Amino acid sequence: MAVAKGSAPQSGEPSKRGDRRRQLVLTLSRVWAWAFLGLLIAFFVITVPLSSNGSVNFLTVRNSQNILMAIVSVLLLGLGQTFVIITAGIDLSVGHMMSLASVVSALVLREVFNAGVPLFPAVAIGLLAALATAALVGFLQGSIIARLKVPAFIVTLGGGFVLRGVALLMSDNSTVIGLPPGVRDYGNESLMYFIPGDSGGLYFFNRPEVSGELVRSMDRILPYPVIIAAIVVILMAFLLRRTAFGRHTYAIGGNQEAALRAGIPVDRHLIQLYMLSASTAAVAGFLSTLRFTAGSAVIGDPLLMSSIAAVIIGGVSLAGGAGSIIGTVIGALIVAVLTTGLVMLNVQAFWQFIVIGIVIIVAVLIDQSRDLIVSRMRSGA
Amino acid sequence: MEQTAMTSEGNVLSREPMLSVRQLVKRFGGLTAVNKVDMDVYPGEVVGLVGDNAAGKSTLIKCIAGVHQPEEGEIYFEGRRVHFSHPIEARDAHIETIYQDLALAGNLNVGANIFMGREIKKPFLGGLVKVLDEEFMLQESRKLLEQLKIHIPDFTQEIETLSGGQRQAVAIARAVYWKAKLMIMDEPTNNLGVVEQRQVLDLVRELKSQGVPVILISHTLPDVFAVTDRIVVMHRGRKVTDKKTSETDSQEIVQYMVGALDDNRVDA
Amino acid sequence: MFKKSLLILVSIVMILSLAPATLSAQGDPIVIGFLPGVVDPFYQVMELGVNAAAEDMGVQIITQIPQTWGVEVQTPILDAMIARGDLDYLIIAPTDKDQMIGPLEAALDAGIQVITVDTFLGDGDYVNGPVTFPISYIGSDNVEGGRIAARGLAAAIGGTGKVYINSTNPNVSSVEGRAVGFNEVMANEYPDIEVVGLDFNLDDPARATEQTAAVIAREPDLAGVFGTNVFSAQGAGQAVIQAGLGGQVQVVAYDATQLAIENLRAGVVSLVLAQKPFDMGYMAVQFAVAHAAGVTSLPKRVQTGFAIIDINNVDDPAIARFIYQVP
Repeated sequence: MAVAKGSAPQSGEPSKRGDRRRQLVLTLSRVWAWAFLGLLIAFFVITVPLSSNGSVNFLTVRNSQNILMAIVSVLLLGLGQTFVIITAGIDLSVGHMMSLASVVSALVLREVFNAGVPLFPAVAIGLLAALATAALVGFLQGSIIARLKVPAFIVTLGGGFVLRGVALLMSDNSTVIGLPPGVRDYGNESLMYFIPGDSGGLYFFNRPEVSGELVRSMDRILPYPVIIAAIVVILMAFLLRRTAFGRHTYAIGGNQEAALRAGIPVDRHLIQLYMLSASTAAVAGFLSTLRFTAGSAVIGDPLLMSSIAAVIIGGVSLAGGAGSIIGTVIGALIVAVLTTGLVMLNVQAFWQFIVIGIVIIVAVLIDQSRDLIVSRMRSGA
Repeated sequence: MEQTAMTSEGNVLSREPMLSVRQLVKRFGGLTAVNKVDMDVYPGEVVGLVGDNAAGKSTLIKCIAGVHQPEEGEIYFEGRRVHFSHPIEARDAHIETIYQDLALAGNLNVGANIFMGREIKKPFLGGLVKVLDEEFMLQESRKLLEQLKIHIPDFTQEIETLSGGQRQAVAIARAVYWKAKLMIMDEPTNNLGVVEQRQVLDLVRELKSQGVPVILISHTLPDVFAVTDRIVVMHRGRKVTDKKTSETDSQEIVQYMVGALDDNRVDA
Repeated sequence: MFKKSLLILVSIVMILSLAPATLSAQGDPIVIGFLPGVVDPFYQVMELGVNAAAEDMGVQIITQIPQTWGVEVQTPILDAMIARGDLDYLIIAPTDKDQMIGPLEAALDAGIQVITVDTFLGDGDYVNGPVTFPISYIGSDNVEGGRIAARGLAAAIGGTGKVYINSTNPNVSSVEGRAVGFNEVMANEYPDIEVVGLDFNLDDPARATEQTAAVIAREPDLAGVFGTNVFSAQGAGQAVIQAGLGGQVQVVAYDATQLAIENLRAGVVSLVLAQKPFDMGYMAVQFAVAHAAGVTSLPKRVQTGFAIIDINNVDDPAIARFIYQVP
């Protein structure tokens, strides 16, 4: 009666060499984005000084902080998107959601501050208003997708247009200005400042009162928007990796029917995902309001495609089921390193589009060859 | 559920049936897919459900599993009349169905699949939030598969990298873990290699030895004869016979399947 | 896997952070960054001026032209240019008069002097206004340009009828000024002309075409359109051609692109305002060089003027040289 012997795959045990090759492809599929990022950095580290006779270096404190600043918006748009795409959905409205959040947070912050609320609580209320807007938008879009079964592509495409219109209406077709001047500090100041040399040193929280050459050589380390983005990254990675919420996200992406039969409330979960996606976009919009000291109804529009590119380069499969937050961070870093590096090389930055386009296709090819290997392993067993 | 090792036929028959279907009718438009079918399944019993294509056997079990709602007739489970309007309700009553399409998430590992939708959590950061207890789920899965004598080399492997038989085994194991009181298997050996077919049939015997009744739908008569206690044959929506496996043979069953024999017509 | 990945990520950030700081090369030729708003013929001609001046004056130019108009596109490029560490001056057309203040102050902090061309920061008054740090603003008098456009369009339509403005982006000083001047003249001098709308095409000529076509459909008696820059004028002209209303609906085009001139010859455009982007670029480099040499009396605002082109003077070499010639 027992199945004592031979439950292991018996027939067609793969040969050692073939096995090793498969392992190589599987490993490659996991680490290639890291490797590409490393190579990219190495490339710029070598070529940037060469192109400028040594007067320009890629690896500088300032530049590292620039790259981190440059990924904030794209990354935040991609974080919620990562969850959505893992379930084989898509959220095309994140760019316009970011714009709407920028306008809403600027308007609310300004009104609240003018009503006499101190700066910090006013800024916090601005953030809450942006998040509340996002929650509403995500709930509406998610409900139409999950309950009325309209494809996510259509709902978020249409939703994006609606959001853009609402943002333009609310901002009266212009940039929302007149924010309290202290707002700029939140968006542009840093946790630490470093001035090399005897008269310098490391300063925390407060920017040292210096001028002239000292300002020129001063490095800002960890600007506040970067810190906020990092906190969101950690929260999202935790949510996806360690909680039942994240597990259900993967399960829905792997086999939605199976998730449903296993008792996962798929509809409710999908609605929550679209709320999450809108929320990380809202944080991006809020941070852009701080950084540029103004709300703008057009600010997020150009970033949508870059953010989706970052997610895909990071290994999230559009077919659903696979991907990680760290991958998305790597993808966003690749996009930002490319832009910055090409500018420092004094190559026109539009070359980045060509490189990113090729990288996206390579990413998907690697993904597919991985899937092929996996299915061969299965049928070979 | 601890009524194992009492599967001699005398005992089985003396007990109350786990599942009783009475005069069940399911129509699709003008077509009567299931026509006044009676069927009983006793604890620890493996019942084979056979018939030609479109004989109505899949429709019958989908009525039991809550996928379809019958127009007429009654279903009793553990002595109580039940009416499942959704597959989730049937599953909540511990009727587990193993479909051909497996109902597993290929991108998750064995443990994650067994606990899918019912993940075990533990407190984190002093109970502030709850995180997945991967350790516990992995250990439970390992214990479970050992108990069912299923061998899977690496538990952290994604399901999609496993063979069809291994995946079928994981699906069955999941049903067992969640205390299935009745297991319905729809063509569980389809698309499997010979060795793997045998493994699945061994698993059916293992379930039986643990007291879990099984309804097995299969086209493969040797399989049906290998593991069942009783065979129910359907033909054009009607039950045409219900025989102890030990009192029939495959030639006779084929006669019923093609409509050459029909107990109920003779009776009527 | 997650922890390990995080660790590697943190290490990369640390390595990036701990690398030795650049020593900027001093004493070498002046290095000037040039960062216009978006790829279009106007800025391309400006780049020619910048490059010509660089050659004449022996300075080095680092040029980056964004593919799309927008602060989120311009700022990362700006930051990367600052991070080069070798720029002494930056010639920039800010894509938003308010939003770009912060990022450009960062350039100043990094020791880079800023000259704005075509568009300005704040209210453009670098002496008494809210923003005073740039060396100078070199550009057209856009309000005056708008007034000229208004009078030109009014004459073309006989001083009566409905007119429409197609612009690019809100809160950009240049096109905003043009609309302000245009509206002012129409309100004060032409009581029989009604301005029926203002749309923003976000630097997309296709959208400009759509918007203008929609206004033509809405206002069947539309008499004229004012396109406030390259893309607006291009889209407005295209919509009029599509509607078969060339000569019926008059178009006044800001910026003397080849396309605008073609439309002028075809009778679709009645007036073209040529700015002098070549001079803006050339002069900005001159200002940087002068500033580096210690000149302290540089004007905070320079107006480069216009050439007004119509069908009668388009072949006059003295005027035709202001048509934007992109290589």
